Amino acid sequence: MLKIRNLDASIGDTQILRGLSLNVNAGEVHAIMGPNGSGKSTLAQVIAGHDDYVVTGGSITFKGEDLVPLAPEARAREGIFLGFQYPVEIPGVNNAYLLKAAVNAKRKHQGLGEIDAFEFLKLAREKMTMLDMDPKFLHRGVNQGFSGGEKKRNEILQMAMLEPELAILDETDSGLDIDALKAVAGGINALRDPARAIILVTHYQRLLDYVEPDHIHVLSEGRIVRSGDKSLAHELEDKGYEWLQDIASAG
Amino acid sequence: MNSQISIQELTRALHRLPGTEQTTERRRALQLFADHGFPGQREEDWKYTDLSSIAKISRTWLSADAEPDGPDLARIHAAMASIDAAWIVFANGSLLRDLSPGLSEPGVSASDAVELDVVAVPNRRDDPLSALNRALSRDGLRLQIKGDNAAARPIGILTLDAAQTAVSSSQVRVDIELAPGSAARFVELHLSTGEHEHYSNCVVNLVANPASSCDYVRIQQRDINHSQTARLNLRLQQDSHVRHAAFDLGGKLTRNDLQVDLVGQGASCVLDGLYFGVPGRHIDNHIRVDHCVGPSTSMQDYRGILTGKCRGVWNGKAVVHKGADGTDATQSNHNLLLSEHAEINAKPELEIYAEDVKCAHGTTVGQLDEQAIYYLRTRGIDESAARRILTGAFAAIIVEKSPIPELLGILNEKVVAELQKIAPGVVS
Amino acid sequence: MSVETENLEQLVNRRYAHGFVTDIASEGLPPGLNEDVVRAISALKQEPEFLLEWRLRAYRQWLEMTEPEWAHVHYPRIDYNSISYYSAPKSDKDRPQSLEEVDPKLLETYDKLGIPLHERARLAGVAVDAVFDSVSVATTFKKKLSEAGVIFSSFSDAVREHPALVKKYLGSVVPQRDNYFAALNSAVFSDGSFVYIPKGVRCPMELSTYFRINAANTGQFERTLIIADEGSHVSYLEGCTAPMRDENQLHAAVVELVALDDAEIKYSTVQNWYPGDENGVGGIYNFVTKRGDCRGTNSKICWTQVETGSAITWKYPSCILRGDNSVGEFYSVAVANNYQQADTGTKMIHIGRNTSSTIVSKGISAGHAQNAYRGLVRVMPQASSARNHTQCDSLLIGKDCGAHTFPYMEIRNPSARIEHEATTSKISADQMFYCRQRGISEEDAVNMIVNGFCKEVFNELPMEFAVEAQALLNVSLEGAVG
Repeated sequence: MLKIRNLDASIGDTQILRGLSLNVNAGEVHAIMGPNGSGKSTLAQVIAGHDDYVVTGGSITFKGEDLVPLAPEARAREGIFLGFQYPVEIPGVNNAYLLKAAVNAKRKHQGLGEIDAFEFLKLAREKMTMLDMDPKFLHRGVNQGFSGGEKKRNEILQMAMLEPELAILDETDSGLDIDALKAVAGGINALRDPARAIILVTHYQRLLDYVEPDHIHVLSEGRIVRSGDKSLAHELEDKGYEWLQDIASAG
Repeated sequence: MNSQISIQELTRALHRLPGTEQTTERRRALQLFADHGFPGQREEDWKYTDLSSIAKISRTWLSADAEPDGPDLARIHAAMASIDAAWIVFANGSLLRDLSPGLSEPGVSASDAVELDVVAVPNRRDDPLSALNRALSRDGLRLQIKGDNAAARPIGILTLDAAQTAVSSSQVRVDIELAPGSAARFVELHLSTGEHEHYSNCVVNLVANPASSCDYVRIQQRDINHSQTARLNLRLQQDSHVRHAAFDLGGKLTRNDLQVDLVGQGASCVLDGLYFGVPGRHIDNHIRVDHCVGPSTSMQDYRGILTGKCRGVWNGKAVVHKGADGTDATQSNHNLLLSEHAEINAKPELEIYAEDVKCAHGTTVGQLDEQAIYYLRTRGIDESAARRILTGAFAAIIVEKSPIPELLGILNEKVVAELQKIAPGVVS
Repeated sequence: MSVETENLEQLVNRRYAHGFVTDIASEGLPPGLNEDVVRAISALKQEPEFLLEWRLRAYRQWLEMTEPEWAHVHYPRIDYNSISYYSAPKSDKDRPQSLEEVDPKLLETYDKLGIPLHERARLAGVAVDAVFDSVSVATTFKKKLSEAGVIFSSFSDAVREHPALVKKYLGSVVPQRDNYFAALNSAVFSDGSFVYIPKGVRCPMELSTYFRINAANTGQFERTLIIADEGSHVSYLEGCTAPMRDENQLHAAVVELVALDDAEIKYSTVQNWYPGDENGVGGIYNFVTKRGDCRGTNSKICWTQVETGSAITWKYPSCILRGDNSVGEFYSVAVANNYQQADTGTKMIHIGRNTSSTIVSKGISAGHAQNAYRGLVRVMPQASSARNHTQCDSLLIGKDCGAHTFPYMEIRNPSARIEHEATTSKISADQMFYCRQRGISEEDAVNMIVNGFCKEVFNELPMEFAVEAQALLNVSLEGAVG
């Protein structure tokens, strides 16, 4: 589904990704781990199409199509969802309004008619129950005055509503207490699907205790230095990232 | 009252200046001032400040034949001893070289003033008060700073004006140039004595060349029957930084104009101020920051405490010119009105012609927090002390940010002395 | 000058000729302004003597005044003698006979704004007899209002039917010589609205100029007077979201509001006059004086405005908080795109005790537009315990526009609590990316964020108006992004 080949990407004059390659198939859950500054978040932003990052080499294809020239909204409509590390507050814009606009933008792209208000609300309430979210969040400003945990749940709610083919969750576990972490993990697990791929970007292995990945990749200095199954997470937990940096510099 | 002064009166004053050639530059400035006169309240920038009393004083001193009073040496020495600085002393507008060790401080070279090119926006030199200063200043001083003097004691500029025997006036002018990569610290202290009225008109131009930095504290503690207009023009080049704090603790009518031109990328300035209004005082701070390029940063934070029949004026303005993207400009102005008849006119302005900017201002006018007073009283502090403590805390926010930390002690002392003065008035 | 003299002569010679008034009534006045023009307008309207005198006083004062230059707007000098101060109402045969004859571009905009089909004909100026709905609707409403004792009529009708009320209140909030444009309006005002809500009456519906079919062509010098007697309540809607075209470039309206004890007036405006084209050619100069006098104890006046039109807007709906415990509010959205210039804000003058005011101003600049907020909060020495909160935000879209903030605070009472906050920024790149990552197009994302930015003000509008205002905002910003 997602194929990344020798990807180089920079922000300003600083190169962050250096020859990164990654293959993700439908139905798989991948975890991308690595120390701060290794390029994890950059990878997420580059896949989503953030303007600040420039692809200077290599390729990204999604369902066989070149992603690089596509605008962020076009990628989103193709089925790519990014769960933000720091979800953005948009004062005055109703959460439900944003969600409905997003759902309809995608439906329109797929040649479907707009979802009606009643059906939309019913669907949103269902998903919120699953995530243990208070329905009143629908009518508040987007992320406005939400706690850290509420913002992350809101991201998962959006993912549930948009039903992406590829979901990239950037540090979705950061800043969550254990209850919120369980709720968010429960939401992610419920969205695991043979037709859907999920990439978890995380610094710690904590989330992986609740969402079991099929593959784990370790990122260092802009490329993947090690890939393995879920046991790699435990190895990392024991030995720390320094161990990997030694591998990276040796390799 | 007419604020125009005739060219004849001005020319007479020019002729009386000792040893001053009547240069073309002075004559041109004189004419400019004669044409315009003192700014009037119909001009937007002078809406709240009436200079007619100063025009009246000026007529008197311009027509006086007497030489100004000699320097009050005792006051000068006391002032110099109060702050550890390399002092440069002006008495009634004359530079006292013998009392000015600052002139020979390492890293400093001093010469007669040649006005620096501080003017980013054309015609700013045409400000009539700057012209008056240019025309009639006795001694101008130019300081050039080389090397990193950030750790050295600050350079002190003391102006002491006396009006013991007659109405007097002084025009002080200092131009400062910071060489690229240099650093310096300044403390400017304005004092005055004498029964008669006095008018001081001061201009300081400071150019911060690339990668230079400057910390600057100005303390004004004039006598209650003495007035001043003071202008500081700052021009900041690439990656230069200026922190300026102004403390207005005295005077009858005070008008300070602080003009900052941020002309180099990465330039930044922090402009703080504290002013006390007591009965009979008029204190006007006008600050304008021109962001000519971006990224550049400016932060204004002024606080005022006013009590009795007095008036405070605060006008802070940030102008972001076309293309100055990456500008970050903030203004904050908070005022405590502690008694009837005190008045504040606050005007925080933004004028923005660029897109990628972050600008904000916040202004408040209010009183002490009654909850906080109550809280202190439940802890056994009597009400007037509680009010003094809270007023002090309000002022301390500016004092504690002093760009020159060694001055914290003396600034605190001076502020506390002012607070004691207004304490009797601190009743609701 | 020669034109003026000629006009003068004509008028002097013909002033009392019977045929004169009817001529003008059907043909309009020739361009030019002098005392005789003022007399002619008054005569045409068969006004009582006091009003003619009042107009003439205003005219004489206007002559001695100079056009204000302090606003942050630029325009070529206006030649006041090139303007006709009375134009005849368009006869039905000059109007489009059906929607098929209306400019398709205009109809397209109606569509974007979601204006109901039955209203489009009236808005587009289709001949009156073709517009059935609004006539019948208006008749029903009129009946309901008169049952409640509410007077809602054109200004001219009020002068005829309620001269005592007009005489008592006209100019009592905005004196003739208040400012240059108010003086001009006082001399030559054409028509406008008059509202009187009797004691204790809660006006049974939102009053809107929409239903005032008689005043279809009130012209460029509109005069509105609203009086809310003790304990009454009224909500008044001015303008509409549909684009308004007018051949008169200068508009100088005056609106006066009087709220007596315990009365409340809510005045909402949507201003969408022709803003000129995308190169800044044409467009209305909208120089308006709007002021409310909270004359009574516990009175309240609330101004809400959505300003998207006009080439130049110069307007400061204000409140004089004279009564103890009176409340003034000002909520404003001002959009300036292309070459529009707006200098707008409010004045809150605190005079009574325990008065409070709230100001929320949202300015949006795009294209080459200049948009300034100018506001005054004045607390007089006797105004104990005055409160003001001001929030003033500007949004920049594009690198060639300007956003300016000029607030004045003049505080002379130590018990005042005044808070002013302002911000200026462009639309956050983070917000844009977030929306786009959710599949929302750039333009929709901008609309969404801008509407969110204005939410606090839209919340103050009557429901239907708010929905239209949002659509209007999107139409006004068309082409600003990208």
